[in-house]
Amino acid sequence: MSTAPLPRIIAGIGSAGVTVLDRLALQHPGLKGLLIVNNDAESLAASVVQRRLAVPEGDPKEGFLAIEEEFGKVIAGAPAVLLCGGLGGETGSFLLPALAIRAKAEGIPTFACVGMPFTFEGKARKELALTALGKLHGICDAVAVIDNDRLAGGAPSTAAIGDAFLLADKTLLSSLMAIRGMLSTSGPVRITRADLHAVLGMPGSLTHFGSGASGGSNRLHEALEQALKSPLLTLPTKAPALKEASSVLLLLSGPKDLSFAEVQMAVAGIERISGEKCQIKVGVHAESPEGSPLELFVIASSGGKPRSASAAKPDETKSFTPDPVAKPPVDQEKVSSPAKPVRQAPKTTTAVKQTQGVLDLENYQRGRFDKSEPTMVNGEDLDVPTFLRKGVRIGAPQRS
Amino acid sequence: MASEQIFVGLEIGTTKICVVVSEGRADGTISILGVGETPSRGIRKGEIVDIETVADCIREALLDAEEKTNVEIGNVWVAITGSHLRSFNNRGTFAVPEERDVILEEDLQAVEINAKEVSLPSQNIFLHTILQGYHVDGRSDVAPVNMEGSMLEADFHIVHGVKTRIHNTLRCIESLKIGIEDVVLSSLASAQVVVTQHQKDLGALVIDMGGGTTDYLVYINGAVRHSGVLALGGDHITNDISIGLRIPASRAETLKVQEGSAADPARSEGGVITLRNDPAFVGCEIDRRALDTIIHLRVREILELVRRDVEASGEGMLGMLGAGVMITGGCARLPGIAQLAEEVFELPVQLTRARDVGGATQTFENPQYSTAIGLTKYAMAVSATIPEESMLQRLTQGLGSLFRRKSR
Repeated sequence: MSTAPLPRIIAGIGSAGVTVLDRLALQHPGLKGLLIVNNDAESLAASVVQRRLAVPEGDPKEGFLAIEEEFGKVIAGAPAVLLCGGLGGETGSFLLPALAIRAKAEGIPTFACVGMPFTFEGKARKELALTALGKLHGICDAVAVIDNDRLAGGAPSTAAIGDAFLLADKTLLSSLMAIRGMLSTSGPVRITRADLHAVLGMPGSLTHFGSGASGGSNRLHEALEQALKSPLLTLPTKAPALKEASSVLLLLSGPKDLSFAEVQMAVAGIERISGEKCQIKVGVHAESPEGSPLELFVIASSGGKPRSASAAKPDETKSFTPDPVAKPPVDQEKVSSPAKPVRQAPKTTTAVKQTQGVLDLENYQRGRFDKSEPTMVNGEDLDVPTFLRKGVRIGAPQRS
Repeated sequence: MASEQIFVGLEIGTTKICVVVSEGRADGTISILGVGETPSRGIRKGEIVDIETVADCIREALLDAEEKTNVEIGNVWVAITGSHLRSFNNRGTFAVPEERDVILEEDLQAVEINAKEVSLPSQNIFLHTILQGYHVDGRSDVAPVNMEGSMLEADFHIVHGVKTRIHNTLRCIESLKIGIEDVVLSSLASAQVVVTQHQKDLGALVIDMGGGTTDYLVYINGAVRHSGVLALGGDHITNDISIGLRIPASRAETLKVQEGSAADPARSEGGVITLRNDPAFVGCEIDRRALDTIIHLRVREILELVRRDVEASGEGMLGMLGAGVMITGGCARLPGIAQLAEEVFELPVQLTRARDVGGATQTFENPQYSTAIGLTKYAMAVSATIPEESMLQRLTQGLGSLFRRKSR
């Protein structure tokens, strides 16, 4: 292995996967580790992604065997593999779990972002997709599921069919970026593989996902509002999904000048909606130049049951050593540690500003200035009451 | 032509919209004919967030003023504030052409244009270039016109702000078919009536603490040396009370106005304030010391931020404020604020309101109206000294076609 760390492999499987990776390659030119796998030679030839594995047409099993070795070579030594594609078709439904097994066999942490078919695509497709999803849950460290039906539920009924698929692709890409971003977080405010597993490792759960981006002067609020409005953050019952979620992953990704106060505001924004016992895990990946837009990703899940500990094989996690400050691997950490009060954000204080460590996040409030542009002075949000920022206790009034 | 001497000031404040109609007198003072006002909606921190709602409020305030004064309002002078406003000092130079050795009136404009040749952020426009003083061949504080000299220099205090935000205010007023004479920095307007020339010469810091913003202006040797806007004000105090005591914002506002004090809570006599039941509110008892603590901390913080900014604007700036600090605006009515400001600035502090003003006197006894009254005084001063044409030029240069000057 060379001294430079190898890039994470991001693989797009099937036609949907290729489309998403094309988009990714165009949005982030120079991104390394991209790979597309498909049995449609035309879609491969039209793609801008250079590294391609052409699966012979016909029986998917034989197709897989034909490329298995090559795939193994591509991913060898990579710190992680992210698989992305649509489930329901023959190619994706078979190849995604198969490639995941292969990656895990190499001892590489493996994550999947998959799209579930629209109902109108037919019952058979849906069933095939569900079977494949069940397999993926058994194999991968974490699976982000984008349910196209729920996604379309937020679109007007007059929306063009093309737009529905476009939205599905965009959201799939967005979830891929979220997982990639979360894996890129480092330092005290990071999201570990174990955190991802805790939220996205439960079979049968609904994945809730939202993302937003803004580069304006009120960027945090705009991005947060966009993210929270995402149709995938709403339960089928129309209730906000965060209310039900037991843990939420929040990623802030973007410019270097991302401030401590913005991280706090984001956490406070999620806390206002989420249930009392919900754990919020924050990750910050702020390495873009100042002035670049702030991206915000929210991932949560509800329903589902934690996978039994035996399902994750210990030998897989041992070889997980890409990051020297990695937390203990999945198995040693409680997969869904219950109701530890939400105190993730103060972790930031150790890195950013020790003096603000006393801030009680539960009381972090902006009141009537909730939606207005924050008054920032020296990185402090002065819309938050002075007594709160200074840690002065005010006794509650006596109700008569 | 009496109507020529009527000036209308419009302050679109975060708490209230205020229209002052004044009459200029021959002796240079103004006399207030009447005031129209209406509570504000759609304004946060001194800036318009909902143009239509604000336009409705302005219309109400204008109608109110017209009714009270019997003056038909056609043109207004408008106060501008907001955290987007920035300022700096700059010197312009002009070499007098060799073929003549006397400085002419037009050279004064040339030197101002030279001082404005600085690169502002692309989205910003000039709001004011306030003259500080002229220098001719290195001699300071001179009246240069008709003087002999080869090099004319002038110092200016330049205020600029985000174009779109300033234009939003103007658009809002123009939608009511009201003409705009000029836009004026809020603190500059207030200063016209709350500080005397003598105090400006001695050196003074004027702080206008309003509902949404705290605007301040420093005079040294009679000239504006520094200005600033903090998007913090009385609204923040109310919000802090509402959050800290867990009462609705409207209750918090009343509590602040009726019982609030900025004095050091350690010196508070304590006790209990009873808030009565009403249909939408369960009554409760509030510890006076808790209320005072919340207000004191916020006001102290705002004043400390002003102090820090003034200190940063120039070395020894605070030591040059011979006349001390003048506080005006709605928050000046908080008991104990003068003492607190004295502690923060270590300077004598006065609570001030409009002076040298005649007419509807009960109006200017309230520091809340300083800005709107000051606008009319500013209007009068500007109209008396600047020829019509050059003012028009300044307007069209600075703010583009948004201005349609109606003939007065």
